[in-house]
Amino acid sequence: MKLGVDEDELASCVGCGLCLPHCPTFRVTGEEALSPRGRIAAMREIHWRDAPVDGELVRIADTCVQCRGCETACPSGVPFGHLMEATREALAEDRSLVYQPWWRRLGYRALGHHRLVVAGSRALAVGQRLGLVPSTRLGLPARLPLRSPALEPSGSDVYLFTGCIMDAWQRGTHTATMGVLHAAGAGVELLGHGGSCCGALQEHAGLGKQARSLASRVMAAAAGAAPIIVNSAGCGAMLKDYGRLLGTPEAVAFSARVVDVHEWLAPRVDALPADEWRKLAGPVAVQDPCHLRHVQRSHLAVRTVLRPFVDELVELDDDGLCCGAGGAYALVHRDLATDIRHRKLASIERSGARLVVSANPGCLLHLQAAGVNVRHPMQIVASAVAPEP
Amino acid sequence: MYERDASMITVDRPAVVCFPRTAVEVQACVRAAAHHDRPVVARGAGTGLAGGAVPVASGVGGPVVITTTKMDRILSVDVEDRVAWVQPGVVNLDLTRALAGHRMHFAPDPSSQQSCTIGGNVANNSGGPHCLAYGVTSAHVLAVDVVLADGSLARLGALEADVPGYDLRGAFVGSEGTMGISTRIAVRLTPNPPAVKTMLLDFVSVDDAAGCVSGIIAAGLVPAALEMIEGKMIEAVEAFVHAGYPADAAAVLLVEVDGLPGGVAEDAAAVASVGERCGARTVRIAADETERQLLWKGRKSAFGAVARIAPNYYLHDTVVPRTRLVEVLREIYDIAARHDLLVMNVFHAGDGNLHPLLVFDAREPGVLERVHAAGDEIVGASLRAGGVLTGEHGIGLEKKAYMSQMFSADDLDAQARLRAAFDPDERMNPSKVLPAGSRCGDLQGVPEGAWV
Amino acid sequence: MTADVMRAFVNDVGESGPVTCVGGRTAWDVGGAADPAAREVRAPVGIVEHEPAEMTVRVRAGTPVDVLQRELAVGGQRVLLPSPSPDATVGGVLAVGRSDVRRLAYGPLRDVLLEARYVSADGRLIKGGGPTVKNVSGFDLCRLLVGSLGTLGFLGEVVLRTRPVPDASRWHRGDEVDPFALVAELYRPAAILWDGAAAWVLLEGRAVDVREQASVLTRHGMVEVGGPPDLPPQVSSLTPSALRALDPSATGRFVAEIGVGTVHADVGAARAALPVEVVELNRRIKDRFDPRGRLNPGRDPLLGAGAEVAIRTGGGCRLCPTRSATGSDHRRARAERRADP
Ligand SMILES: Cc1cc2nc3c(=O)[nH]c(=O)nc-3n(C[C@H](O)[C@H](O)[C@H](O)COP(=O)(O)OP(=O)(O)OC[C@H]3O[C@@H](n4cnc5c(N)ncnc54)[C@H](O)[C@@H]3O)c2cc1C
Ligand code: SF4
Ligand code: SF4
Repeated sequence: MKLGVDEDELASCVGCGLCLPHCPTFRVTGEEALSPRGRIAAMREIHWRDAPVDGELVRIADTCVQCRGCETACPSGVPFGHLMEATREALAEDRSLVYQPWWRRLGYRALGHHRLVVAGSRALAVGQRLGLVPSTRLGLPARLPLRSPALEPSGSDVYLFTGCIMDAWQRGTHTATMGVLHAAGAGVELLGHGGSCCGALQEHAGLGKQARSLASRVMAAAAGAAPIIVNSAGCGAMLKDYGRLLGTPEAVAFSARVVDVHEWLAPRVDALPADEWRKLAGPVAVQDPCHLRHVQRSHLAVRTVLRPFVDELVELDDDGLCCGAGGAYALVHRDLATDIRHRKLASIERSGARLVVSANPGCLLHLQAAGVNVRHPMQIVASAVAPEP
Repeated sequence: MYERDASMITVDRPAVVCFPRTAVEVQACVRAAAHHDRPVVARGAGTGLAGGAVPVASGVGGPVVITTTKMDRILSVDVEDRVAWVQPGVVNLDLTRALAGHRMHFAPDPSSQQSCTIGGNVANNSGGPHCLAYGVTSAHVLAVDVVLADGSLARLGALEADVPGYDLRGAFVGSEGTMGISTRIAVRLTPNPPAVKTMLLDFVSVDDAAGCVSGIIAAGLVPAALEMIEGKMIEAVEAFVHAGYPADAAAVLLVEVDGLPGGVAEDAAAVASVGERCGARTVRIAADETERQLLWKGRKSAFGAVARIAPNYYLHDTVVPRTRLVEVLREIYDIAARHDLLVMNVFHAGDGNLHPLLVFDAREPGVLERVHAAGDEIVGASLRAGGVLTGEHGIGLEKKAYMSQMFSADDLDAQARLRAAFDPDERMNPSKVLPAGSRCGDLQGVPEGAWV
Repeated sequence: MTADVMRAFVNDVGESGPVTCVGGRTAWDVGGAADPAAREVRAPVGIVEHEPAEMTVRVRAGTPVDVLQRELAVGGQRVLLPSPSPDATVGGVLAVGRSDVRRLAYGPLRDVLLEARYVSADGRLIKGGGPTVKNVSGFDLCRLLVGSLGTLGFLGEVVLRTRPVPDASRWHRGDEVDPFALVAELYRPAAILWDGAAAWVLLEGRAVDVREQASVLTRHGMVEVGGPPDLPPQVSSLTPSALRALDPSATGRFVAEIGVGTVHADVGAARAALPVEVVELNRRIKDRFDPRGRLNPGRDPLLGAGAEVAIRTGGGCRLCPTRSATGSDHRRARAERRADP
């Protein structure tokens, strides 16, 4: 089978193994097959030597969290994310394989319909309260919101991208983010109709077509030239990648407008009112979402933004190893995701922090499900600069 | 997937891959392999550069690979005796990090330390930048529990100062998996130095930099580390780490001195003055720990970063007398030029441990032959200068053929006897280290063109 | 010239008949008495090459350690071999395998030997290791030879790692100090000795550092002295922390190397029996290297460094797990095994 990969990119791995410890699935299994080097070897088997694609090869590809920790660790600059996305797309397109069965495809497609997402979420919330939904077994947050106040646009200086699941489950983070943006003097516009789902989960699942069509809708929903601010690391990474994904000049221009909220705030942090007495006592541990640290590589901005508002920020000692959330990963590969999270919990424990911040909805949910006291950095900043009336 | 390590050599596919978690499970794997007359190959992280972990068939069938990555627990840390017992799959850097709270570390620090395992370090007697002052792995291993070829378990060495009998521990360290599989290792812990200074000396000529290395050693200084990066490699490294390596320099030396603050200051001044005498353009001292870490990250990523220049590389690991660095380096350039190849050096200069790196694109027809020929000549030049074949990566499959250039048939026979005392049937990692014919009725060679 | 000297040594050793290699006879009784029937040979003498900038020296094994040290000192260097008496030779000291008293800072004796040229039991000249400070080419015969009591081969010529003579080197002594606490308190002291009452500390290195560390010792009431105490003759080994339990009333006079575990005593401590697998590996190595048992008959490294003590105190032989046999029983058993094909 031919994978739609770039030959030079596939050839660029020299096999040094320096990425191994930065790969969450290798870390917890010790299996070469579940390491970046092993996965590239598998791709080469399929692409160069036409190895038959069996269940094992599918597992090798499907267990990748797509955290891209291997990319920042790789001195040779192997673009692992591209390779894996192309591989999954090829696997998903091959109808003889049951990679991405119909119900998963349907689930991913539903994310593009925001009303459906919000309604579904509300149904789940009701079910939870009636004790009909086994939240823990499904990996859901313990108490989904029943109804949250709608967001109101307040100007046109910047767009805030709100996302699909995040908007349904964590609208509070958006409220906080808007509060902080206002405090920094920016009027916030929301994306128009169709601009809710970035397509990241679809792209990671190998459903490239779905992803590209969502991308076009998002672009259409954010007209003008205002910066597009994102407070979800996963969505931000995806929006920044539209240029490559669609390959059109419009997409490139769109991607150039996308900034992570911390990236945008970092140079403006002095404009925020910081009161010494409002400072949060520490220690607060910063958990870097992979798509902020390894993909957008703007994780340091989180620290710059938080520092005026937190007494003691502490770092985790795991070199930014993934927490196992990985978009839908925690739902699809429960056991691996739990093992991976276990390492993160141990690292949090060692840091001595009782509060953790993480700038990605997936990580928040995944860590919350393990009982970690974790919040989005914007919530911390908001409670200092824009306390609720 | 398990048929290769970082050497990119492939020979045979493993028949079975085992993931034991305990010594008892390792024993069971080894016994089962013996029962079915299969060779056994131990594997750590697979970062070896000489093909040590590459399985080669012998006996009736495919090799059994025993991977230690699931044996990754630190079993005990004894600060008073300065010793830790670890399982072989513990990652080198993980151990050092776990010891940080005790202000101790595990001194051998191969550039691959973030990935490689202690078991692999022991098997290869690995070195690293800081082995100049602290010694290679052998100096930091007190005892090893080893599963022997017949499945029995023996403790070699001890926590006591000396053990009666031959130094079995010493024989095992560096045996590249041919004498047994380690299942538990007692490593010596080294206290962290109270003060460290890391310096970057930058030169416009490689000769000057090499001269500076000899100058530092001749001045009676023993830096904690003394590394050289030269040529295009500086640029590639800088592109990865952005540590402020001067991309236009012909060579840089990374020198670290450590110890008590007073001596460190004097040593640093002494190094700087040797540097200036030898024509260093600038001498920069890392201002803080972050800058120091960044400089080291650059050095330690160098082999990987080479892919930014060309997709393939072939690396040698010879050691030459430090007084002859200048001339050997020059000869290496000449050799590469004659074969129309690009060569770069990034190496443990303080030990004279060269890592000439021939970079090329394997897709170019005929290039492999040239790389091979140049490699042969580089090894020859190093040996002629009074050097040795490998300083830390080991012989494995890759350098086996060169062994007879360094050792006579009688020398090799003595080594074969030692190995046979441990593994009379050559079941453990066969076809490694000793060339065919070291003992009568011998091993098969590496198939033509198996490397790369 | 070098080649001639070595060839003569090879011829001396020959290919048959029991033969024993004599150094300075300073540790002649370690590992059991030599078989009187064995022919005596001596290793060649002389320093072949010392290149200070290389930090190595090539020397013939029969050279007295003191002679070598004097020569190295001219180039501002030294080698960390113990020198128990002026007659002790380089080869003898390596074969016996006892480390220098400064092991705490510089490591054990086995790390000093880089390359060995030795004569094997079948009368061949064999090279192990290599002349550079770093080398992993092939299996490590050098470490195997250190402490082997000449039972695997006779050292003819060796390359040793040298070190610069430190700027300052000072011994201190005190009665009121906890030597175990000093290991952690000082940074890499060269040696800490303890006789159950007093402690001695050797500081070496840059003068500023030695001054600074000496001030720590002064705080503990230690004063500078001319050198270490005399070391009692028997050597045994413990773990560093086990030294705390040493009791002069049981061992007689002792001097312990704190942080290392070596004990020099008038009466040594018995060691536990070695496991059979280890004894068996020792036997197999000897059998492969010297199947006819002609090299240094009577000597057994299992009774060597740190082990001879047990015999004299009636501790039995640790070759036999039951520990009922004595050293000579064991030797007899081994001779019988060998006779039996
Ligand atoms: C980028 C890069 C930089 C490097 N830098 C250095 C350096 O600075 N210094 C240096 O010395 N090396 C260096 N190396 C080489 C390599 O990392 C070391 O040799 C390392 O010790 C190998 O460890 P590993 O766990 O990867 O072992 P593997 O490659 O898996 O195995 C190496 C050998 O050890 C044997 N082995 C593994 N585990 C056991 C066990 N438990 N029992 C018995 N045998 C076992 C294997 O059979 C094999 O022969 C580098 C490699 C790379 C890719
Ligand atoms: S993306 Fe993450 S999970 Fe996938 S191979 Fe890379 S490091 Fe491993
Ligand atoms: S992906 Fe990069 S780091 Fe990993 S083995 Fe390949 S080249 Fe090395």
